Amino acid sequence: MPGPSTHPDPPRLPRLSRRQALRSGALVSLAALGLGALLAVGRTRGYAIDPARRLAVLSGWQFVVVQHVARRVVAPDRPDDASIPTADGLDVAGFVDAWMALMPARVRRDLGRYIAVIEHVAPLGAGFTSRFTRLAPADQDAVLASLEASPVALLRAGFDGLKALILMGYYRDARAWPIVGYDGPLVGRPASGWTASGDRP
Amino acid sequence: MSRGGFVAGRDLDGDIVLHADAVVIGTGAGGSVALRELARAGLDVIALEEGGHLVSRDFNQREDVMIPTLFQDAGGRATEDMAIRVLQGRGVGGSTVHNTNLCKRTPDEILDVWARRCGVEGAGPAEMRPVFEAMERDLSVSEIPATMRNANNEALRAGAAALGWRAGPLRHNRVGCQQSGFCELGCSYDAKQNALKIMLPAAVDAGARVYSDVEALRITHEGGRVTGVVAAARDAEGRRKAAIQVWSPVVVLAASAVGSAALARRSAVPDPHGQLGRGLRMHPGAVAAGTFDREIAGWRGIPQSYECTEFLSHEEGSDRRVWIVTAFAHPVGAAAVLPGFGAAHMAAMRGYPRLAVLTAMVHDETSGEVDVDANGNPILRYTMSEGDRRQLAQGLVACARILLAAGATEVTIPAIPPIRVRSAAQLDRVDPSAIRPHSVPLTAVHPMGTMRMGNDPKTSVVGSTGEHHQLKGLFVADGSLFPTSIGVPPQISIYSFALHLAPHAIARARA
Repeated sequence: MPGPSTHPDPPRLPRLSRRQALRSGALVSLAALGLGALLAVGRTRGYAIDPARRLAVLSGWQFVVVQHVARRVVAPDRPDDASIPTADGLDVAGFVDAWMALMPARVRRDLGRYIAVIEHVAPLGAGFTSRFTRLAPADQDAVLASLEASPVALLRAGFDGLKALILMGYYRDARAWPIVGYDGPLVGRPASGWTASGDRP
Repeated sequence: MSRGGFVAGRDLDGDIVLHADAVVIGTGAGGSVALRELARAGLDVIALEEGGHLVSRDFNQREDVMIPTLFQDAGGRATEDMAIRVLQGRGVGGSTVHNTNLCKRTPDEILDVWARRCGVEGAGPAEMRPVFEAMERDLSVSEIPATMRNANNEALRAGAAALGWRAGPLRHNRVGCQQSGFCELGCSYDAKQNALKIMLPAAVDAGARVYSDVEALRITHEGGRVTGVVAAARDAEGRRKAAIQVWSPVVVLAASAVGSAALARRSAVPDPHGQLGRGLRMHPGAVAAGTFDREIAGWRGIPQSYECTEFLSHEEGSDRRVWIVTAFAHPVGAAAVLPGFGAAHMAAMRGYPRLAVLTAMVHDETSGEVDVDANGNPILRYTMSEGDRRQLAQGLVACARILLAAGATEVTIPAIPPIRVRSAAQLDRVDPSAIRPHSVPLTAVHPMGTMRMGNDPKTSVVGSTGEHHQLKGLFVADGSLFPTSIGVPPQISIYSFALHLAPHAIARARA
């Protein structure tokens, strides 16, 4: 029988698990993940976190890394404008932690590993010898830029995923809407508007 | 016959055993129609839906609340290589709750190919026409009037017109639309004439029972016949609340091309020819964003009301396989797609009200696969073919051309690095090979084709009746059925094929 349609089926795709893909991506990814796993085990101390903070998924050190990443991802374009809310002010890292609890276990696991890569391995790839959380903001930007443009597809994909979560944690909040000129949901909207009223949907 | 109704699995107090003439898994477009038809035939029928039962007052237009509620994996489902985000609905009504209500019939060319090349009988253009008509009546399908076209869609119309490209208004299944623009987060105004509002209430009126918060764990079968479904009710936090055993001689799978195939695999459904889960298509797409010097405010109004089909042909072997429509998002979605981060990203977000966004969606030839991991969770394998990649690149360049023709001062294709052009001349110099998976963010919202119909068991999973080749009593009534990509939004096709095939499930249940 000829192919079933205008779009004939090729042979069954080779089986490639996400972990296998990570391993086969490039030497860089091998080094990154292997070294990252090692370092993540041995270097998880020395992170300051509010003892009152209750985390759903992330460990304390992972939470601190996400806080640092969030501060850079939503760094203000007008640093002197005090009206721009900060990542910490909107508790973006707390949002990421809560959202991760909704994700399938395997995605949580992969994202957790990726956070270790950001903290311990990606700085090396960008030419720094310190942990990500100990770098100056400009150097952190350089590390994140290296991940965003990494030749390893899954490192880029991981950055995109974490970036999307952070941006959701930021732009979901009515206090960030004036930046983008968004007027928010119609349902339950106060007569004076969400941001003018100071209410949060 | 049992009295129909909606039952929240999270409210169950203990394990239960149910008996039915038929059980339907999934309550989206296909499942809701199958359920209605079985119930109207006088059969005792049950539906199991893994998500919750939300109604219009629950849809609060908040991305951070509705996305994890209405979408699988909290909106984070992706192909195994993470190249393509796959958005699929969960909850009573399935993806019809969050879709943008586009109504296009399965093209005649596609139905012809299925008949000639895939051995699908009784579903040619002539046979399906009255089925489409009946379904469009049920769903109150109509053309979206020009008066309801927002600025983003008007930019598409104007750009396509300036270029002389084929384009036109879309049809939808809304009545009483308030043009709030929050369609993808569920309709707060009950304007969507969908599974949730139309089909499922009709099924319940006819005696069907719909269990929400109930995940089908596996289909039970013995001696080449299905015997029922083992399921689990879960509470609001997803914890297992109660075990449910349904005994039934007919099981209708309607849990989407991903969910149905994964469940069949978990259930060790016979697959002697290795066809189960294969043939995954999903219309992968990417976006181009144009910045205008006037307000677009694309989040207001009906999100998609106009299309460009200049590069779309459903003819067999066509090299024009891209459908262009608008693709706007609320701030969270828009922020995720814009390239970069930090100050530059925030500066770009300030242009949000002046952005018009188009998507190029590929009528794909790539054949992927749905498998399951050790825990039974779906794995989506899909490596875009070079032919599809070229279509995607061609489509995105066309999107950029439309936006420029409509007056955009700059167009961005969010590749790595971003492609930014200010004129058609600059666009001519763009290297299309830079547009590829893992370089541009890809999204798919139309998975299909993992339990294909056809008369040859060696190349298909179910017959032209929708019944599994090897397992009597197991039917499929969702997009899994489609032997190829259909190249149009699938809801009308899914609703209609469920209606078309329902008599066979009814006959089996009566037997």
